[in-house]
Amino acid sequence: MSTLKHKGKGPQSMTANELRDGYSVWLDENLDWTRDFKRALRTEDQDLIDRMQLKADTDEKANFVVGVYFIDIEPDTGLPVRYREKFRVNGPSYDTADLLETT
Amino acid sequence: MYRYDEFDAQLVADRTRQFRGQVERRLAGRLSEAEFRPLRLMNGLYLQLHAYMLRVAVPYGTLNSEQFRMLAHLAEKYDRGYGHITTRQNMQFNWPKLPDVPDMLDDLASVQMHAIQTSGNCIRNVTCDPYAGATAEEVEDPRPMAELIRQWSTLHPEFTFLPRKFKIAVTAAEKDRALIKAHDIGIQIVRNTNGDVGYKIYVGGGLGRTPIIGQILREFLTKGELLAYLTAALRVYNRYGRRDNKYKARIKILVQETGIETFRDQVEAEYASIDISDIAVSEEERNRITAYFAPPEFETLDNDPAELQKALEANKAFSLWAKNNVAAHKASGYAIVNISLKPKDLAPGDITAAQMRAVSDIADKYSFGELRSTHQQNLVLPHVKQSDLLALFAELETAGLAADNINLITDIICCPGMDFCALATARSIPISQAIAERFADPERQRTIGEMQIKISGCINACGHHHVGHIGILGLEKAGVEFYQVKLGGDASEHAEIGKVTGPGFSQEELVDGIERMVDFYLETREDSERFLDTYRRIGIAPFKEVLYA
Ligand code: HEM
Ligand code: SF4
Repeated sequence: MSTLKHKGKGPQSMTANELRDGYSVWLDENLDWTRDFKRALRTEDQDLIDRMQLKADTDEKANFVVGVYFIDIEPDTGLPVRYREKFRVNGPSYDTADLLETT
Repeated sequence: MYRYDEFDAQLVADRTRQFRGQVERRLAGRLSEAEFRPLRLMNGLYLQLHAYMLRVAVPYGTLNSEQFRMLAHLAEKYDRGYGHITTRQNMQFNWPKLPDVPDMLDDLASVQMHAIQTSGNCIRNVTCDPYAGATAEEVEDPRPMAELIRQWSTLHPEFTFLPRKFKIAVTAAEKDRALIKAHDIGIQIVRNTNGDVGYKIYVGGGLGRTPIIGQILREFLTKGELLAYLTAALRVYNRYGRRDNKYKARIKILVQETGIETFRDQVEAEYASIDISDIAVSEEERNRITAYFAPPEFETLDNDPAELQKALEANKAFSLWAKNNVAAHKASGYAIVNISLKPKDLAPGDITAAQMRAVSDIADKYSFGELRSTHQQNLVLPHVKQSDLLALFAELETAGLAADNINLITDIICCPGMDFCALATARSIPISQAIAERFADPERQRTIGEMQIKISGCINACGHHHVGHIGILGLEKAGVEFYQVKLGGDASEHAEIGKVTGPGFSQEELVDGIERMVDFYLETREDSERFLDTYRRIGIAPFKEVLYA
């Protein structure tokens, strides 16, 4: 359960990890969770932000996702502000598994 | 190797069953994440940056081929086809799914393995010299003592909620391959002037955000005293360790703040109050455990057999590999083989399921089915006949495991960093790959000689950067990764913490700067000096000058 109160600056996205598979997910425009950040809802609309918070809390209680939190988004690039979150969006820059899949 | 007795088997089976129930309740929503998190951590399951990660304990780095095959099976069935050897000799899987984890633990239990005490504020997996039981340098095999500590510490009720995690490392050789002075407690098996075998105890070492080299707590303990004495030391820590501040909670800070003399007095006073006979293990029990580690039945063989000599002369690649990756064995006609997990293209310490199976087969064929993991993130085949080395080398080549760079500049220790770790401030794998690429020429690597580069992706220092000859710490500022350099660290028996050179670098500047320092060392070295020796002789200033040139 998130106890973090939303205090972000600028456009926001809501993120979490899937409880079962552990993958990073973001809320999309339909307030469904997507593994694809490109489809993530990025908004400054306070009403939407409140609904995102509600949806995230509900899904966390329903044990669909864990560790929900808002991330700040750069208005011009649409990417997360924090380096760590930028990174999380792309997945590992290196993973031995990728080599295995290509061979 | 140690076989579980019925207590161990029962304990692991109970624990796995318990965790299966907990996962089911979590998935059904009857446990919240706040309730579940400590339970999963106690079973080695982390949530990382992108997914879950399961850390499997490899007690004192000893594995048999059957266990390694099971790890290959887990990698293939539940993960993405590979595993990662950590700097604490464990194996991590980067992509397990929560509903699968109980099955993974069941599979592990079937080969007497588990993930207990790989996390949390308890006594963690004991690490050990990977050459244990094979090197002539040791007073005796340290693993029976490591196993004794494992049994004593597993789910120890008094020491399950320490102020912070507690790591013990053991060795029985003067040459330290287990980094004992960078552990909460380091134990060296020694022989005193009377010829008695006992233990020298170091305390208060550690890396992390406050790196400290351990100090001697007790010069000599007789064998029967060990567990009682450790109990006393842990009690003093448990009582006075700083629970108020996570960053000051390790025993190293307590020892530093208390002073080693006072700390020692406290431990000795506590020790005097303990009835040793309550804890001490009988000679009989010690012998029972030791019997599990009885050396395999070595044949009577000569050193340097003629066929080996011939092969060394005939096969250049083999002779280069043998020179660098093979170490002396205590039994004549045998050798210790290091398998490098630092090929140019994989991340340091990564090994594919197919390679794990190949190594298991090779271990069965040539090393009595035994293998070891090392804190340098490599593997060891402890007991190989010298006359088999050529055939073994050929099989390693086929498996893509014949890199001949042990202890050279491309044998880099590297933590998962930002590519996997939730705590990272920067990536570390691409840095190690860029350095490996720059120094790819094997001839140049050999000219440079022994060189330890160690890279961590944040100040937690899992990549041991404090004790690298060149240590690299990844940081981030305003969305840009940069890398701080330390020089002069030493992970050996002469353990030392490296010194920070100054402001950090981008990845590209860093690799250039390292190359300039290496070239400068090659011009400046005298006789057979290693990089570290030259650094010690002339000091940090000239190296800084070329690094920042
Ligand atoms: C996100 C998941 C994490 C990953 C991927 C990760 C990775 C690692 C690795 C690879 C090691 C060495 C391996 C071993 O113990 O077998 C390690 C040890 C360590 N971890 Fe983590 N870790 C994680 C979580 C944590 C947490 C929650 C802390 C505490 C703040 C932490 C702090 C450290 C420190 C200080 C060390 C080792 C330094 C020492 O030996 O004292 N890590 N970690
Ligand atoms: S040093 Fe930091 S980044 Fe690297 S594994 Fe440890 S906690 Fe993660």
